[in-house]
Amino acid sequence: MHGYMGRILHVDLNRGRLWDEALNEEYTRSYVGGSGLAARCLYDVLDAHTDPLGPDNTLLFLTGPLVGTSMTSAGRYSACARSPLTGIWGEANSGGFFGPELRYAGYDGVWFTGASDHPVWLSVVEGKADLHDAGDLWGSDIYITQTRLRESLGEAKARMACIGLAGEHRVKLAGIANDHGRFAARTGMGAVMGSKNLKAIAVRGKGKVPLFAPDEFRIITNQVLALFKEDMPSKSLREFGTAGYVNVGHMFGDLPIRYFQLGEHAPADALSGVDMTEKFLRRNTACHKCIIACGRETRSPAYNDDKVDGPEYETIGALGSVLMIFDLEAVIHAGHLCNLYGMDTISLGVTIGLACELFERGLLTPADTGGLEIRYGDAEMVFRLIELTARREGFGAVLAEGNAALAERAGVPELSVTVNRLEVPMHDPRAYVGMAVTYALSPRGACHMEGNMYDLDMGQSNLEDVGLVMGNRHENSIEKGRTAARLQAWRNLYNSLTLCEFENPPVPLLVGAINAATGWNVTGDDLMNAGKRIVNIKRRLNFKLGMTRADDRLPELLLKPLEKGGSAGIVPDMPTLLAGAYAEFGWDPETGSPPEDIPL
Amino acid sequence: MAIKFPSEEWIKEWENRLNTSESYAQAAANWEGDNIIVILPDENYTQTTYIYINLQHGKASDACFLKSLDEKKALFTSTAPFGTWRKVLEGRIDVIQAMFSNKIRLIGSMAAIQRQPKATYELVKVAGTIDTDYGS
Repeated sequence: MHGYMGRILHVDLNRGRLWDEALNEEYTRSYVGGSGLAARCLYDVLDAHTDPLGPDNTLLFLTGPLVGTSMTSAGRYSACARSPLTGIWGEANSGGFFGPELRYAGYDGVWFTGASDHPVWLSVVEGKADLHDAGDLWGSDIYITQTRLRESLGEAKARMACIGLAGEHRVKLAGIANDHGRFAARTGMGAVMGSKNLKAIAVRGKGKVPLFAPDEFRIITNQVLALFKEDMPSKSLREFGTAGYVNVGHMFGDLPIRYFQLGEHAPADALSGVDMTEKFLRRNTACHKCIIACGRETRSPAYNDDKVDGPEYETIGALGSVLMIFDLEAVIHAGHLCNLYGMDTISLGVTIGLACELFERGLLTPADTGGLEIRYGDAEMVFRLIELTARREGFGAVLAEGNAALAERAGVPELSVTVNRLEVPMHDPRAYVGMAVTYALSPRGACHMEGNMYDLDMGQSNLEDVGLVMGNRHENSIEKGRTAARLQAWRNLYNSLTLCEFENPPVPLLVGAINAATGWNVTGDDLMNAGKRIVNIKRRLNFKLGMTRADDRLPELLLKPLEKGGSAGIVPDMPTLLAGAYAEFGWDPETGSPPEDIPL
Repeated sequence: MAIKFPSEEWIKEWENRLNTSESYAQAAANWEGDNIIVILPDENYTQTTYIYINLQHGKASDACFLKSLDEKKALFTSTAPFGTWRKVLEGRIDVIQAMFSNKIRLIGSMAAIQRQPKATYELVKVAGTIDTDYGS
């Protein structure tokens, strides 16, 4: 199989048994790789009785066909399982070098089943896989873990994916760290690793991805590289990282402030990514073959943090403006603590945000929190709550269950800002109404990576060839719903190719690269259809796990208009937008089901 | 009566309106930087035109046509075809969106634009209040 290493490593953690299986060609051709292929594989083995934190849940790491090649932005991997946070399809994606290195080590993916009776870590070096005792690593933060594994292997260039304390304690907001401080953060995949007593995976290899037409592939990837050197969004990402969007997002009413209840607040401009670059940036960091290098390595002198991965825009919003903390150094430090313990900054920030709001409303008191006063703007309290959550100590054990569980516990589920129990990221659907569709229909719950309408309606794409063009960000229409659905399909394709969405080569170049890599003969329309197929398999799996059409909704708080700012007075018209999206996907308007005549 | 765009009269009207706009004064209070706007020819406009405007702390001055980019240096140069400028001035495309989508090509400090996007937004919004004749 050109474009693929052709095999998956299976690891039965119950028995400590490892074996190779050939990649299923039929599934791969239809579902491409990454999270799409994972969904097709897991559809066969997950059901409503699968305990997300039990040994019968399976955890699948997968890459896509361009990963590890010379294609820019193709350095990602997906980690997928039933989510302990949401109970539905769980998926987390991350960049860096782990995905490419796994392929160089000889595999497209690793499939874990069962659970070990003691902590273990997995090494995959030059096609040889082994399980090792991780007793001495258990309790270590993600940085120490990676350093010690590298030493243990004697491979300075080994790449790791691992969990921190939060994953070990099965905190439902726990992510998987790789390549220092990059994260496959969402839906609690770190807790799934922890439930399996799996501390880490270390990979190293010198293999090459077999390409169908390597010369043609190289020409195309060089063309793609040239395009992004002068591209304005790419230059902005290079200079300021995703944090460069803070002030623009604030102006548009897209940056959530005070738990999604303020559309404008002047102090929020102090969280500027430009300021962060000028005052606290140590250096840019890049993923495999990326020319943008949007990653940040910062410092926070006020908190004696000399080297911090991030923060990205999402972290600045979730641990900053949502919590009314407008001190960049405090936000950098809070992000660093989340990194150390291995937690999703979006989910934790939005969960702490709810705790602040409940306190404001008198629905949470020190009697509920072990004496803690949880108030907006209190950075020291946030640091404390991060520590408590990672260890599941005191009120941290409540926060460890996530925002929806906290709202239910307080008797106010209407104050939860989640979709299908996943915390809403830092793009407000009142600022870009297409995001309402993205969130409501995202197979893993509220997720901005499943359809970045804020980028499309900012004009940042080259996707006209598949019918994706910039529109009015406040337009509530059937066509907007259709566009958001198409973009959701395209981004699900990206998460299956495991490409980064920050670099969008024109469709003909992407098609050319895929065909030159795999020997396929696909068109742009074929790729869009593959994206829809991938959304559909995830939806079918979610319905199998208990989801219904009634779950296609936004949280109540996001359907109330903001009083001020660049999106004041705007609310998404959900019936209209969803009607457009259902029509685009071909789903039954009554049941929301994908057509049964679409083959799996 | 509508004022022709681009023209000396239009440029002076823009400068005057900026200097009396409270919202611009507030949004651009920390802005320091002059700007050259380059209007490129397209199907509805036959020449390349250069407009200079000095912008300091919420006030505008020295607005005029330039003969070429050699005549004056500026911190920012924003270049787009006539039709794109018209869409921006008519509010059909947001100016920040136009920059991020490469519809307007910006040379200059992105830091200033991204730190104070409202200054740019209000600069264009004020221009959009002028009753303008685009010639077609």
